[in-house]
Amino acid sequence: MTRTSTLLGAVSSLALVALGSSPAFATGTTAGSTIQNTVTVGYQVGGVSQTSKSASDTFTVDRKVNVTVTEVGSSATVVSPGQLQAVSTFKVTNLSNDTLDFALTAAQQSGGSAAWGGTDNFDGSNVKIYVDSNGDGVFTSADTQVTYLDELAADGAKTIFVVMDIPSTQVTGDIATVVLTATARAGGTSGSMGAALTTSATNTTGVDTVLADAAGATDAANDGAFSAKDDYKVSAAALTVLKTSRVVSDPVSGTTNPKAIPGATIEYCISIANATGSATATNISVNDPLPTNVTYVTSSILLNGTVSGSTCNADGTSGGTFASNTVTGTLSDIAAGVTRTLVFRATIN
Amino acid sequence: MNRNIPARLISSAAAVALGIAFAGAASAAEPVSLKGDVQVEKVVTENGAAKTVLAPPTTVVPGDRLLFTTRYSNDGDKPVDNFVVTNPLPAPVRLAADEGGYEVSVDGGKTFGKLAALTVADAAGTRRAAQLEDVTHIRWTLAHLAPRAAGALEYHAVVR
Repeated sequence: MTRTSTLLGAVSSLALVALGSSPAFATGTTAGSTIQNTVTVGYQVGGVSQTSKSASDTFTVDRKVNVTVTEVGSSATVVSPGQLQAVSTFKVTNLSNDTLDFALTAAQQSGGSAAWGGTDNFDGSNVKIYVDSNGDGVFTSADTQVTYLDELAADGAKTIFVVMDIPSTQVTGDIATVVLTATARAGGTSGSMGAALTTSATNTTGVDTVLADAAGATDAANDGAFSAKDDYKVSAAALTVLKTSRVVSDPVSGTTNPKAIPGATIEYCISIANATGSATATNISVNDPLPTNVTYVTSSILLNGTVSGSTCNADGTSGGTFASNTVTGTLSDIAAGVTRTLVFRATIN
Repeated sequence: MNRNIPARLISSAAAVALGIAFAGAASAAEPVSLKGDVQVEKVVTENGAAKTVLAPPTTVVPGDRLLFTTRYSNDGDKPVDNFVVTNPLPAPVRLAADEGGYEVSVDGGKTFGKLAALTVADAAGTRRAAQLEDVTHIRWTLAHLAPRAAGALEYHAVVR
């Protein structure tokens, strides 16, 4: 910062006022602005008005570096095992009084408390950082992978997506915590990341730098960086499959106390239960290759039936297909705590 | 910082000396001198206690509190009357507090008064009470300044 102090003679104060004006920003007066304070005095001697006098003092406003990173949504991102490109959303805001670049890093936390309760116990893979290029707040193919934010103006903010893949081996309740850190770098050159910033050790001619950021999730105060955490919480479907059969009728006894003799009709029930607290299972496809010594009863498949306790109710709606000696059916989504069945009949050869 | 002050005129002793020096030659054509200065108020912790100190404006960033000082003196040998010091606030600062002892203007220096008595037009066209950030000018009025008299006028402001 340079400062000059001048003693002025009879000078029009109006010209000096113009020098002192500069636009005001919410983050503050722009770095490099000069603040000129000018005073003018009018007076009389012996009842006669004298020429007015002025004095002024000028100094330069320095660069105050401040940045915040906030997690958007205030909750963990719910993911499935094996999910690709699971997204957590952050917002980086430049609270400095200057246009700056911001280096972005996404780190996997290793154990310890997660952002939204629980404990971090796994890491994702293929971690990438994207900037919300079209400003819609949603991660889409239009967004750009970045390693830094280029030329973010004072008061400017950008939405950042941290994207990673979830290992297929994770189970419900597993948590991966990521830390997004934005570190202020010098702005001024579009298309390349500027130099690292430090608080100026000495007061130089020109604009000095003061790091004035607060401490974030993993960074210290006044280090030019700010960090925030978000979690990926695994919610898996926990399906159990049970296959039961009963003899419906035989050629000798009919439906009264039937026995599994050749020609008897067997009813198979495949029940699929999703445990309480699990994610809803979707696109459930059931395939049952029949043993060679039974013959499928045409159009006997019933889908989305129910159970009473552990007893198959053998209800549902007709559907499914039979091909290559395999019964195939697609069930509706199964929410946590719900059981659905696929029922079909066959005869013993 | 380069603190480039060509002449430190206004310690009170120097003012008196200059007043004497000019008395004969200049015949009090311009008997009054003014000197502007600015300092930054920094809060430092000393022995565990927070303390406010004044420092040169070597490092000034938005939010800093500044003390603007105007030292004046009557270097002539005649009394000065209606000594009116007008100080437009630099645009990047706003008045920190209404400390009294001066009148303010919220209309670019056209009219002056006590802040509590002034109003400004708001966006809806009605008038509301003027706030500190509306102040554009400060004015001190000293009815009489005796020969060799000197003093200082101060106001606090915050960098926007």
